[in-house]
Amino acid sequence: MMISLTIDDRQIQVAGGTSLLKACLDSGIYIPHICFMEESDRSPASCRLCWVEIEGHSWPVTACTVTIDHPIAVKTDTPAVRHLQRSALQLLLSVHRVECKKCPANRQCVLQNIARFLEVGLKPGRLQRRLKEPDVDGSHPYLDHYPNRCVLCGKCIRVCRNHDNRTALTFAGRGFHTVIRSFGRFDSDTVACDSCRACVEICPVGALVIREA
Amino acid sequence: MDMVLDPQEESALKQIETELADWGNERSRLIPILQMIQERMDFLPPRAIEVVAQHLGISASEVFGVATFYNQFRFTPPGKNPVKVCLGTACHVRGADIILENFERKLEIKEGETTTDREFSIDRVACVGCCALAPVALIGEIVHGKMAPSKVEGLIMRCQIEKEMAERASRKKETGE
Amino acid sequence: MNNGTLRQRYQKLKAEADRRRKASEEAPGAKIRIGMATCGIAAGALETKAAFEKEIAARGIQAQVQTVGCNGHCYAEPCVVIDHPDSGFPPILYPEVSPGKATMLAKLFLQGFDPRLEHILGATVENDMIPAVADFPRFHLEKRVITQKCGKIDPEDIYAYIAEGGYAALTDCLQQRPEEIIAEIKAAGLRGRGGAGYPTGNKWELARGAAGSEKFVICNADEGDPGAYMDRTLLESNPHQVIEGLIICAYSVGAAKCLIYVRSEYPLAVRIIRTALGQASDAGILGESVLGSDFAVEVEVFEGSGAFVCGEETALIRSIEGHRGMPKHRPPYPALAGLWGCPTVINNVKTLATIPPIVTNGADWFRQIGTQNSPGTAVFSVVGNVTHPGLVEIPMGTTLRSLIFDVCGGIPGKKAFKAVQIGGPSGGCLSEAFLDTPIDFDSLTKAGAMMGSGGLVIMDEENCLVDVSRYFLEFTQKESCGKCTFCRIGTHHLLEILGRLTTGDGSMEDLDLLQGLSEDIKAGSLCGLGKTAPNPVLTSLRYFAEDYRAHAQEKRCPGLTCRALMTYYIDLAKCAVGCEACVGVCPVEAIFTTSNRKKGIDQEKCVKCGECRVVCPPEYDAVEKVSPPGLAPLVERPAEPRKQN
Repeated sequence: MMISLTIDDRQIQVAGGTSLLKACLDSGIYIPHICFMEESDRSPASCRLCWVEIEGHSWPVTACTVTIDHPIAVKTDTPAVRHLQRSALQLLLSVHRVECKKCPANRQCVLQNIARFLEVGLKPGRLQRRLKEPDVDGSHPYLDHYPNRCVLCGKCIRVCRNHDNRTALTFAGRGFHTVIRSFGRFDSDTVACDSCRACVEICPVGALVIREA
Repeated sequence: MDMVLDPQEESALKQIETELADWGNERSRLIPILQMIQERMDFLPPRAIEVVAQHLGISASEVFGVATFYNQFRFTPPGKNPVKVCLGTACHVRGADIILENFERKLEIKEGETTTDREFSIDRVACVGCCALAPVALIGEIVHGKMAPSKVEGLIMRCQIEKEMAERASRKKETGE
Repeated sequence: MNNGTLRQRYQKLKAEADRRRKASEEAPGAKIRIGMATCGIAAGALETKAAFEKEIAARGIQAQVQTVGCNGHCYAEPCVVIDHPDSGFPPILYPEVSPGKATMLAKLFLQGFDPRLEHILGATVENDMIPAVADFPRFHLEKRVITQKCGKIDPEDIYAYIAEGGYAALTDCLQQRPEEIIAEIKAAGLRGRGGAGYPTGNKWELARGAAGSEKFVICNADEGDPGAYMDRTLLESNPHQVIEGLIICAYSVGAAKCLIYVRSEYPLAVRIIRTALGQASDAGILGESVLGSDFAVEVEVFEGSGAFVCGEETALIRSIEGHRGMPKHRPPYPALAGLWGCPTVINNVKTLATIPPIVTNGADWFRQIGTQNSPGTAVFSVVGNVTHPGLVEIPMGTTLRSLIFDVCGGIPGKKAFKAVQIGGPSGGCLSEAFLDTPIDFDSLTKAGAMMGSGGLVIMDEENCLVDVSRYFLEFTQKESCGKCTFCRIGTHHLLEILGRLTTGDGSMEDLDLLQGLSEDIKAGSLCGLGKTAPNPVLTSLRYFAEDYRAHAQEKRCPGLTCRALMTYYIDLAKCAVGCEACVGVCPVEAIFTTSNRKKGIDQEKCVKCGECRVVCPPEYDAVEKVSPPGLAPLVERPAEPRKQN
């Protein structure tokens, strides 16, 4: 069933059951987002960037968690929305090593794009920058991971599938110290990392890089 | 990654491997199995994580990810006298941080560490639920309530004396009888 | 279902329970009941028990030593009730019974019939001979619904619970239709005791109506608030009341499987629940046919591995499923799609323990307790700087003042009340101006705090609110699951800023940053943990702005707590010549003898533990605290210390 939505000044028709974020993106209305993946059925809603205001709600909500089942009116550019988006971006930048020229994601990096969209720079404002040690984690046999680039969106974990349909990547640790890690022995019978680059390709910030032999 | 286990730990792990089949291999068994291993070995050696992964048919990474999420699991062996200082709210307002500091100073290690002779380790715990006795510290399973910085040295000494007495007793047994 | 069979099955259990109770009561000699929950054991109840047993055996006294749970009087542990009919005295409650006191009581009271009145707290029943504890404010202001049987019965004996009328409510329920029970719970207006206060009946109704043949009920005993222990005490003192509530809930929503999710840090509670479940199965209360009915239910225990965030429903479910306990966005709510995607009711321990009394006494009775919108009672663990810390159960609507000063005896040591922190890491700090606030879900939320888990920490004038906020942020920051941006990174920055303030490195700009960042975290976080994490900061900024300003601007800690901003010194006018009390306790040998044989503190060495102040004899009271440290008078260590031979 098609449902009609009012987004800012536009009317769009979307199939019931889609998420609001997808509906907007499909209609060419950009809303900042990092962790959302079209294929997965339930968004992790962890990056906290895709804020919108829905008429009748007193506070912004994340568009990826709104399932469309009735007509709604949505605003994507209100002061409250922009405030939360800038605040979230600033937090991500406060733990990000800004060295764009050295980074493979330069010019296609999601943080650069969102910063440009929100008309802010890549400095964390009044927050002090806090970086992790070490800067590069080389424990994986084929990959280098840069925790100070990583935004912990988890997309790499979601796309990682080996020959035995098991994932080689995980979140490890907790809280501020959460990192992307792999653990255990790797043998080429089960591990596909030498030929598969799914995680490297999906990483929006260049935090996973194939190690040069 | 490779950690050398002492013979006792080695045989404990072997024994656990043979028993795993009885624990079922559904994903939901993961945390109970990790708890059982930690209960028997006092920590989770890297090999145990691989053994569990194989048993449950998931990757070692996933097991590691789950284990590192929870406070209960540790990856290095604790001391023979594990000191746990409660830093719950009630203990905090009664100066628990000073108790912790005093243990750290006397044992010359920081929280989360084990002394080189593996006799003592210090950890902070969130709340052991004896708030009316604050501040509280545990050595092994024994709760010491109404702690004071000046009691720290005595508690450590008591552990050392008990150890010496045990050693003397066992020497006597060997030489005497 | 055959109601006749059901009642018969229950009557048989009750008859057996009554027979056992009678036999125990009629057994000759005295009964000594010792509180053996974790707090009692920590205070030395095991040694006390051993002392009684030894003395009784040595003297050949006819007496039984019984173990019971916790009565909530944690300040008085180990607590012992001696029921000695031959002495002519009523049952007497003795506080702080050390092994020495136990030996003395065995000799003088059990054998010599002298109850040693100077050692008693009071009689447990009204009588003409000695004051009854029921006359004390603590006892008559309390209203025990949830903890009524705690400390009275042996938690490891199902018949002790049945003899007190236990499992009668379940028997009643099994003769009703589930809808009728849900209607009764809704009529009672019971709100979830886990924190947010969602109406329990509505939650059950939602799950009952949800599609799906497999449903679950989970008892949330993952008590993670670092200053609260009500759930633990309840499970250790009367597990069957919780289990009974759990089975009634399962029957009402149509679940065949229940889980009790309990912290593995509570080993005694885990053991006692497992024992209780075993006994309930043996008695036919759990299993294929509950009390002979066609309702089948099983209950499993799941030990939580220590993650505060797992108190959040969706994270708790993830951890049972064998994953990292990271919350998911709600909706969908667990009542519709929870464990393994099935409808799942998650209720707190206290909520479930409230069910049997409601069923037994009716919704109207329950509504008479408490307030219009928050009927019933609230259980708090009152800790911190208060005279009588412990577990209390009061009717909702009682004021904070009455709870702190009447029930718990106020602030010890002639100090002034400063603040009360309610609801743990998710709650707020309230000032003196709020002492007349009634304790109920809505009033506390309005004040910026929340009912939360029921932890209540009392702070006096020598506590610092900046330090307390830093403490709570340190906790939430450490316990943040790390999933969402605001909580993971935001709480880390909050903690850093608060840390700066407590060491004197903060500025007035930091206070604005704290406020702004706190508001963003509250608005932007994914789950309840993140949304409420800034509450301690926001409330203390609001009600204790002066504390913050002093730290930021004057580098001064008004509570004399932040160690970087305060120091100890010895007032030479008060210090006594020749007294060495402070020298021995100093852990770092910072105390020296001055040229006029008094004591001084070497500020370079001092770690500010305050032990010297504790031991300084009250008649001198010479050790002072000041902030900022520059105010302390300089006392020079003599060039050549006096040598003693």
